[in-house]
Amino acid sequence: MLDVQHLSVAYGVTEVLRDVSFSVREGSVVALLGGNGSGKSTLLNALSGLIAPKGGSVRYLGEETAGLGAHQMVRRGVVQVPQGREVFADMSVSDNLELGAATRSNRKEIRNDMGDVFALFPVLRERRMRAAGSLSGGEQTQLSIGRALMARARLLLMDEPSVGLSPRMVDAVIEAILRLRQRGLTILLVEQNVGVAAAVAEQAHVLKDGVIAYAGQAKQLINNPEVLASYLGR
Amino acid sequence: MPVQALVGHRSFLTLLFGTLLVLPAVANQYTLFVGNLMLLYIILALGLNILVGFSGQLAFANAAIYGIGAYGTALLQVHLGWSFWAAAPVGAVLAMVIGTLLAIPALRLSGIFLALATLAFAQATQWVLWHWQSVTFGAGGFRTPSPSFSWFAIKQDYGIYFVSWVTTVTLFLFTWRIMRSRIGRAFVAMRDGEIAAQSLGIDLLAYKAMAFALSSFYAGVAGALYSGLLGYMSPEGFDLFQMIIQKAMIVVGGLGSVVGSVLGAALLVYIMEFLREFKSTQEIVFGVLLVGFMVFQPNGLVVFMKRWLPGWEEPMHLPERPQAISKPDVVEGTTSGDHPVVERT
Repeated sequence: MLDVQHLSVAYGVTEVLRDVSFSVREGSVVALLGGNGSGKSTLLNALSGLIAPKGGSVRYLGEETAGLGAHQMVRRGVVQVPQGREVFADMSVSDNLELGAATRSNRKEIRNDMGDVFALFPVLRERRMRAAGSLSGGEQTQLSIGRALMARARLLLMDEPSVGLSPRMVDAVIEAILRLRQRGLTILLVEQNVGVAAAVAEQAHVLKDGVIAYAGQAKQLINNPEVLASYLGR
Repeated sequence: MPVQALVGHRSFLTLLFGTLLVLPAVANQYTLFVGNLMLLYIILALGLNILVGFSGQLAFANAAIYGIGAYGTALLQVHLGWSFWAAAPVGAVLAMVIGTLLAIPALRLSGIFLALATLAFAQATQWVLWHWQSVTFGAGGFRTPSPSFSWFAIKQDYGIYFVSWVTTVTLFLFTWRIMRSRIGRAFVAMRDGEIAAQSLGIDLLAYKAMAFALSSFYAGVAGALYSGLLGYMSPEGFDLFQMIIQKAMIVVGGLGSVVGSVLGAALLVYIMEFLREFKSTQEIVFGVLLVGFMVFQPNGLVVFMKRWLPGWEEPMHLPERPQAISKPDVVEGTTSGDHPVVERT
């Protein structure tokens, strides 16, 4: 579904990603791990069109998409769930979900999809008229995922959904991702938390200093002390 | 409709626009002029609030754009002999086109830098009005032709008054609708988190251009009407103080509030006329109001309206329920504003 070849990204003269290649199969969950400053978020931002890559190719469903803007990627179904959730705190939950459908206009379909999101995350239905900022961290994560689904996401780019959450909430996030996987959604998950990655992903890639340093089965990763020690600093 | 809904934005708007509608029947010429000014400032405040309050673009060019609409309308009549009815739409559209171009720097600049860039544009416009004498007649200003209402059998100052009333109410209803739509929602999203908005597929260039286009169209329309109202025009009417007046209106009324724009404009025109004889006091009072509200109540008078009047509701506003404040258990990464988060019960 997504095929990244020799991707490089630079901020000014600082090269953040060098020659990154990997692919994501349709319907799979792929984890992208790495420590702080390894270029994980930069990679997601390049894939979602928030920043333009310097070189290399990104093919999504057979189409070259490197260099397209974020709104063009969203229309194609590539939607990012940003780090820190980034819900619009002063808007109601339902306005936040409506914003996910900013690129769409068919009211009936939007209403149906909102029903789907509510079925997936019932707590959002309960609180739909409340300010998004009044939700708990876990609920905000559900809202930011629901918002991305409202854009008819086919490939979800999740940027550290577990960060800053209590262990119980992290379990809720894992549970949510598993439910999305069941529905056949393709997910590229950026994480620092190896446990989360191992619980939901089949494949894992470890990013270090802007290159992919390890690729393999996610489950094997937690049992590979060498990888943990050298790339994730454990 | 429940009884409590009667005490809210609807009654305020009905009362204000109703009074303004019947004003010509009871008012003398001066009061009518003030009423007309109020209508124009409501248009200006609505437009400026779309740009600054809803979309979060700190631009300072509205007075200059207002001037471009006014000068455009008047000069087309003076130099080319057009009628007011042909010149006014062209003047308004000219203002809109120039105003939309300001979205280009706004893509790269934000906050104080955008403020400075647009301020420079406003000063440049002033310079042109002062120094391009062969076209603009310079600092001394010039007399503008009165619009003809012969086809309507109505006196000239009543004519421009009713045209202003109809235009203002139409633009108000239009603003209300559009701010409730996905466009308004996208504006607010752009204000509260550009990156988050972008990652949801909101095209920042398109929406910023739309915000600038809308607000400068409103300013252009107000300018066109102003040229028909006053009969005389000079560059001073569109200077920095004019910008402060407009900014004070939306800050006092309520940033990001449609009805607040109306409230702020009506109130400040009243204060302005009250102080008409002491021009320097005007500047002090408006400055104090602007700074005072920014410091003590940055969300303007609508905060009190929402708190005290049960039926006060507006697009993109959650109703104020002071007793039900709850804090989210995770704060980092959210885009909360500077006031406590409030939930609807």
